[in-house]
Parts: sequence; structure tokens; C-alpha cells
Amino acid sequence: MSRGERHASSGAFGDGAVRTYHVSKSYIAGTFALHDLTLEVKKGEFVFLTGSSGAGKTTLLKLLFAAERPSEGQILVLGRNIARLRASAVPALRRRIGVVFQDFKLLNRLTIEDNVALGLEVVGTPRREARARAFRLLKQVGLQHRRYHHPLSLSGGEQQRVAIARALVNEPEILLADEPTGNLDPELTIEIMDLISSAATRGTTVIVATHDHSVLERYGKRTIHLEGGRVAEDTPAVSGGES
Amino acid sequence: MRRLTAILQSLLRSGLHGIRSSPVTSSIAILTIAVALVLAGGFALLVSNMSGVLERFGEELQVVAYLEEGLGEAEARSLSQSLSTVEGVESVRLVTKREALERFRQTTDGAALLDGLEGNPLPASIELRLAESQRTPEGLAVVVAAVSGLPGVTELAHGQDWVEGYARFVSLVRVGAVALGLVLAVAALMIVANTIRLAVYAREDEIEIMALVGASRSFVRVPFLIEGTVQGAIGGAVAVGLLYGVYVLALPQLAYGLELVLGNVSPHFFGATGSLSLVAAGGGLGLLGSAMALMGWRSAS
Repeated sequence: MSRGERHASSGAFGDGAVRTYHVSKSYIAGTFALHDLTLEVKKGEFVFLTGSSGAGKTTLLKLLFAAERPSEGQILVLGRNIARLRASAVPALRRRIGVVFQDFKLLNRLTIEDNVALGLEVVGTPRREARARAFRLLKQVGLQHRRYHHPLSLSGGEQQRVAIARALVNEPEILLADEPTGNLDPELTIEIMDLISSAATRGTTVIVATHDHSVLERYGKRTIHLEGGRVAEDTPAVSGGES
Repeated sequence: MRRLTAILQSLLRSGLHGIRSSPVTSSIAILTIAVALVLAGGFALLVSNMSGVLERFGEELQVVAYLEEGLGEAEARSLSQSLSTVEGVESVRLVTKREALERFRQTTDGAALLDGLEGNPLPASIELRLAESQRTPEGLAVVVAAVSGLPGVTELAHGQDWVEGYARFVSLVRVGAVALGLVLAVAALMIVANTIRLAVYAREDEIEIMALVGASRSFVRVPFLIEGTVQGAIGGAVAVGLLYGVYVLALPQLAYGLELVLGNVSPHFFGATGSLSLVAAGGGLGLLGSAMALMGWRSAS
């Protein structure tokens, strides 16, 4: 199914790539990581999630790629209800979502090209084709000359670029990034955020969790500020900052 | 089809990588299976050889009916004719008194013993060769029952007691082999299951990443099943090699003991089917062990 078709197939759910309705998540009875959260992110929108540690940013992202299930409420991601999603349907959803983590989550035994190709191989893309596409992505993130290197021989910034390439190799409809620049210095932060931002310009819905204010100011995108698991503030994109 | 091939290739690569990435634990699993199969296979080899003795004996199995002294040749022929119609008898041969004496002279060193005797003390007999389907202790008993007590027959000679005793011994060894095989198989299963479980824990990060990029449950699990099966099959192949080594090297030393159980039948090793069965048994143990390891395990999602 092409990306255009996938968009069309979920057209019945309107423009929302992500919708949450009164979502709560509790790990310990009586305390909430997220509490009565209702929000919507439209297709192609670029949104920052911000807030201090423990505000619920990571929990929300985990709910969006079905690593966790909500304790209460409903979550629609690309038209699928996460609260009722069967375990067997999770892989199919994840193939439509790219995820980038602060700690990169790369397989050290594989070359960076194979790391990027992994997302294609799990859906049965022939190895040669997967590698060719991985190479194109590595080229986009400027690492084509290091295709046969292993992650541990790369700097933190380079590893994050590989992780972004892997997240984008399946042309996902949603890109989630959890503190993608948390381990990087300011120059690399801009480099990485530019790469993520460029995905948004190609129509991908992007949700980035960060508490880096310089990033928020530089890109001027819609910012959802979480506090104690609730939406404390939802600031629209500043003029010119909209994707 | 291309996708399926690509997925299968990827699963196989991943499964084999598992063995390469943990050589020590893999070797332990392979050796455990090999040891279990060497012991079980050794017994199977013994049973197979002993069954060979029974088969060989069966081919030569016959019932000899000794005839009354004074029975005329015409009556003997008539009796021989009627014995040939007994169910389970393939052919009959009448041995006259003269023939019996001739045979005795030819086959016995003590032919001189006969010089001092007057006349021919040897009785005429009818040799009954059993049909192939009847060459078992039970089949032999049926023929013996049908022939004994017939007018003109004084005595029957056959190896029924020996055959029954030997068959019981073979059954006993077979039961022992199965019991030992089961115990060893369970032990091997546990070790393979634990090896695979360790591999699962060791690669939890990897599994998490694969799940993250959309790998299905089977895509994550099948490599572990492949890993267990390959380890088991290698263990089976090692067992065949070890058994063959022992067979070749120890046979001369065991010749006397083997002669006691096998008589003059020369021992044989497993053929291609037997050897492949042992390899397949190893593969099966490995597959089952890894399936046990994955039971109840929920991959990190």
C-alpha cells in the first residue's frame, strides 16, 4: 500500500493523525503519569511536547506507538484505537510510525546500513532493495560514507542521524521523537532537529518530546506543555513556524 | 513470494547469528543433545543388531519332525505331503534314514563312532521350513502346535525356547532404550530450553528494537526456534559421528562380549536412514526445547 493510499484509507477519521479522549495512565494505583488528557494532532502537523521530567511526555509517546495501553480513555492513532488494539495488530501500526529515542536504540552488531534496513526487512523487503533504500536514507542524513561502520564507532550525533534514517526508511505517517537531542551538544541539536523538521515538510506528522527551550524557540511550532500528566498549555505555532 | 523468501532468509540469518553470537552456551546445548543421543543411539544400535540376529535366525528357522521307527517310505512321503499343507509352512523336505546317516557321516568328526554300531540308529525326519510371515516366536509356536501329536511323528525339534528367550531379551533392551532415551530427552530438552531462554534474555534489547520497527511476534520468535533446531541437528550429527567413532574403535575390544549377544552375526552400524533419524531427533529435541523456552515469554513491546 502506498503512502497516499494509506492516507486515503484512514480518511474516515478526518484530519487527525492522533486523537486522545480523556486518557489516563496509571502505573501505581492512585498516581497518574497522564491524567484526563484530551488532544488532537492533525496530519502533517509538527508538535512539540514539553514539560519537566515526569510530566508525562514519554508516557504519552509510549501510548502512541502502543508500547503501553491507557488505563482509561481512548486513543486514536491513524484511525486505530490503541486501547482496543489486539497485540497481533501492533506491528502493522508500528510500521506506519517512526520512533526516535534519546539513547538511539541501534543494534551494535549490525552496520549502520543494516540498522536502517531493519525496518524494511521485518516486512519482507528483499535484502538488496532494503539496503538500497537504507543507503538513500543514509545519504539524506549525510552518512553514506559510513554505511559499513558499526554504531559504536560513530559519535552521538551520527548515531542519532542513523536512528532518524531508520525511523524514516518506511516513509512513516507519524514520526515520534523522545528527547532526540537530549544527549547532544547545541550544534548537533540543530542538525538533528533540522533533519526531523525536514520530515514534517514532506507531510509526515511529527511529535517531538523535548525540554530544550532553545529548540522550541528556534522552530516556533505548536507546543503542548504537560504538567503532572495534564495539558497545562497548548501554544499554537507562531506565524511562519507552521509546517 | 519475493517477500516471503526475503522474510525466510532474514529469519534464517537471524537464527544462525544467534548460534554464532553465543558459542559457549550453544556448544553446551549441542553437546548435551549429542551425549543424550549417543546413549540413546547406542542402545538403538544394540537393539537393531539384536533384531538382526532374530531375523537371521528366522531365515534359518525350521521345525524337524522325527518319524517313527518302522514307518514305511510311502507313509513317510504321504505324511510329508500332508505337512506341506500346514498353515505357515513354506516347504517340507523328507530326510530318509539313509540320508540322515550320510549327513551325520559328512558333518561329524566322530563318524568313527558309527563303526561300532549295527544298522542305522538315526531316524527319518521331515524338515519344515517356515513361511516368512511365520518366522517369529508366535508363528513358530503355531506351526509346532499343528504338527505335534500327528500320527507317525515321535518328536519335534525346534529352537522355540531359545527364540522366545532371545526375543524377550531384545524387548527388554528395547524398553530400556526407550526409557533411557525418554529420560535423556527430557534432560536435553531442559538444557536446550534454558540455553534458548538465556539467549532470549541476552538479546532482549535487540528484540525490543525489532518490535519497535514493526517486527511481528513470529518474526521475533522464529529465529530462536531455528536456533534451537539447528543446535539440535548439529548435536544429532555429532552423536552419529561419536557413535561411529566408538563403533569403529571399540568394536575389536568388544568382539567377545558382542559374540555372546549377537552370536556369529556380524555387527552393523546405522544406515543412511538411521543416521538421518538421529540427526532429525536432535533437531526435534532442539525445536521442542526452544518452543518450551518461548512459552509464556512475552516479548518486550
